[in-house]
Amino acid sequence: MKRRDFAIGAPFVIAAATLGSGSVLAQPKVIRMVESGGKSGESIEVAYIKPFTAKTGVRVSREAPNPLGKLRAMVGSGNVSAALFELGSPSLAQAKALGLLDKLDWAAIDPLPIFPEARDDYGMGFQYFSTVMAWRADAKAPATWADFFDVDRFPGKRALPDYPHYLLQFALIGDGVSADKVFPLDVDRAFRKLETVKKSVSVWWKAGTQPPQLLKDNEVRYAISWSTRIVDEPTLRFTYDQGMYDISWLTVPKGVEPAEKALAMKLLHEVTVPENQVRATEIIKLSGNSVDLERLVGAEKFATFPTATKNKASQFRQDAEWWRINGEAVNKRWETFKLAL
Amino acid sequence: MTAHADTLAQTRQFAGGRRNIAGPSADTLRVWPLLILLIALFDLPLLFTLGLSLYGKNGFTLAHYAELLNTPAYLGVMASTLRVSLIATLVNALVGYPLAYWITGLDPRRRGIALACVLLPFWVSILVRTYAWIVVLGNGGLVNRLLQWGGVVDEPISFLYSEVGVTIGMTNVLLPFLVLPLYATMMRIDGRLTQAASSLGASSWTVFWRVFFPLTVPTLAASSLLVFMLSLGFYVTPAILGGGKVAMAGNLLDSLINQIPRWEMAAALAAVLLVITLAIYFAYARLGRWSRA
Amino acid sequence: MREQRLVLAVIGVTALAFLMMPIVIVVPMSFSSAQALTFPPPGLSWRWYDSLFGDPDWMEAVWTSLGIAAISASSALVLGGLAAYGLDRGLQRWRSLAEANFMAPLIVPGVITAVALYFVFAWTGLLGTYLGLVIAHTILAVPLIIIMIGASLRSLDVRIEQVAWSLGASWSQAIGRVVLPTLAPSIVAAWIFAFVTSFDEIIVTSFVAGAQTTVPKKMYEDLILEITPTITAVATLLIGTTVVALGLVHLLLKRGQLPSVQTGPAAGSTHSTQ
Repeated sequence: MKRRDFAIGAPFVIAAATLGSGSVLAQPKVIRMVESGGKSGESIEVAYIKPFTAKTGVRVSREAPNPLGKLRAMVGSGNVSAALFELGSPSLAQAKALGLLDKLDWAAIDPLPIFPEARDDYGMGFQYFSTVMAWRADAKAPATWADFFDVDRFPGKRALPDYPHYLLQFALIGDGVSADKVFPLDVDRAFRKLETVKKSVSVWWKAGTQPPQLLKDNEVRYAISWSTRIVDEPTLRFTYDQGMYDISWLTVPKGVEPAEKALAMKLLHEVTVPENQVRATEIIKLSGNSVDLERLVGAEKFATFPTATKNKASQFRQDAEWWRINGEAVNKRWETFKLAL
Repeated sequence: MTAHADTLAQTRQFAGGRRNIAGPSADTLRVWPLLILLIALFDLPLLFTLGLSLYGKNGFTLAHYAELLNTPAYLGVMASTLRVSLIATLVNALVGYPLAYWITGLDPRRRGIALACVLLPFWVSILVRTYAWIVVLGNGGLVNRLLQWGGVVDEPISFLYSEVGVTIGMTNVLLPFLVLPLYATMMRIDGRLTQAASSLGASSWTVFWRVFFPLTVPTLAASSLLVFMLSLGFYVTPAILGGGKVAMAGNLLDSLINQIPRWEMAAALAAVLLVITLAIYFAYARLGRWSRA
Repeated sequence: MREQRLVLAVIGVTALAFLMMPIVIVVPMSFSSAQALTFPPPGLSWRWYDSLFGDPDWMEAVWTSLGIAAISASSALVLGGLAAYGLDRGLQRWRSLAEANFMAPLIVPGVITAVALYFVFAWTGLLGTYLGLVIAHTILAVPLIIIMIGASLRSLDVRIEQVAWSLGASWSQAIGRVVLPTLAPSIVAAWIFAFVTSFDEIIVTSFVAGAQTTVPKKMYEDLILEITPTITAVATLLIGTTVVALGLVHLLLKRGQLPSVQTGPAAGSTHSTQ
């Protein structure tokens, strides 16, 4: 759809290719990966890179952060320096449509059993995270999104995401749409619902660290938050019921050297090993893609993770493809909505 | 302007003439190293990027600009950005000018301490300072706890998550950018001028407004402009301290580049922002030259 | 008159307190025993200093940030200072255009500059290199230098320089002995601004830095700002270092061991009348 953008990059790609040609035949000593950094990056290092390096002798240089724009610039410049690139699910859908990715070689990855939705032609879902409702322990506990969005029965300020793709779904469920029928989103209806609560919203948050902080400071009583940020807070409550799970993906940028891609596939194999994923859970409370993870960690300990059987069943899944098609229109609507606040 | 400024202008003309004999090309040459660096590593890639805004399926097009004009939301964000930046600049000038003037009049030891107080906050990253304001001004923050403890208020006052919060955060970050240049200029003003005016019987009020203030106007204008341009690029501070209610262009551009992504729209928006700001800059430069002539 | 001074003093002290407020919060938090940023700290500990010095990644980030900030501020100062002087004294015809061009890096939104620089750095092999970061930060600092030095050159009394010329001084002599000392406070301020801009920059850095880490990069995750108390320890150390350095300068000045600094009119005492 937006291939035309690349036409303009073409002469530069050719120039770059002539500048930096001379392919490497020997196996690379190091491959590069662009990921989201912080604790998540640390978990990738400890859980997946370490065993990979132990087996192959190849080091992995991590680079953060991972905005979609960087992937697009990398592929557009013709100088594809990273063998792996982490993307959120909306970004994965965009990158596929823009033709920025190489297909994965699933035969070479030879994955251990993983959830079916984590397997895509162009990416491996490696990290599950959830968007949930959270509240202060001293506030009246909401059971459903209908409660959450009912400011009369559940009075108190709210903190909602400043990201329509992690908000509109919940407004619709709060308005009576059932979670399994929420996509395709009825955008008009979602905004109508938001209009009814906007006076009670004291913060539209941008950074994931904000909602737990705002709840703890009693700045707000109810919030929509990432689950990881809430699980370890003793004074806060949350539920996976009617929450939404989403997946972060590992992808291969188009135009990467074949030798590097082959190594990347070996690293992706390590990402499917449940024992490795257990090590990741010790660093960050996000689940890997293995169906065996719950058994290995122990059901009790795993109960606070997004992919615990019970939690996964009570949540719905983000629809990145819908957002790819409708994201821009919704965003214009979103800016208008916020300007009128 | 004042008699002093007239003399200055004449001297400048004279000096310019003197330099012409020595060869103006030598001075002009000094501009080139930077100009070459910028053209090669900034202008050309930037033109390529902004050029995306003029490029459509069939080559050259103005469609993206037309779309921009037909998207009230994007224009609204731009207007909001300019407005917030203007407010931040005004508040900065109103607080910063008296501060700089006061520091100039202190004895050297206190002056040193005051300057240190202006400089030290620079070491605290903007992100951390933003969070510090939450600790200070939030509902459970220091100020509200003090007010409630002192019985001044029953319910916490909301300082944050509004335009007020944004202005506080931005002013705190930007104030030194105004104060330090003003201080440097004020210290250079020849004390004999103000002394002479006083000895001629002018009141201190008159001396300030007729002699001192006009001499600081070029720097006040320049540093206010600097603060304004810096404000335009802010978005983490407004996003957090404004509770997401204060729209800034940086935010919108980030989503147009990294989320949606429509680079050609981002380029169009950036180009318009660039043109508006450069127009303000040209007006400033024209004003500066006019006031000197 | 007395009331005016009093009002001025009240404004001045309030403004300084306002500026210092974040420091008053941040420094105690760096000695906190708590995991999160809470104030007042529930207990005292050195753990964040331990985690800073014990973590090679953090130390590397601090040194990279300081190094890149110092080099880019200095190169921007040299190139920008020369250009500002040239603009003020020489260039006539294309002056406005050149000036506007020098302002552009400040006005163009960061994310656009980031994309533009990504392409040119990818093609020139500067991507992810130390030199690339230095160049990027130099470009970003140029407008600050131009505007600051430009403004002070404009308010500089040309007669001073003129006297030097008429006494037969060369250009570099006139600059070195007359212009630079006179402009010293502005030059120092401009350098500091450039340094701090580099030290805090995240948008362009996150695009072009590759595996290089800087202090802001350590705090920035996709969609998430991870503010650990370690960053307050970094800030406290920098503040402490600055206070010590300022104190030393003060002592040296007092003993008269740095007489050259005194030559600028800034050190003059004629201001007691204000």
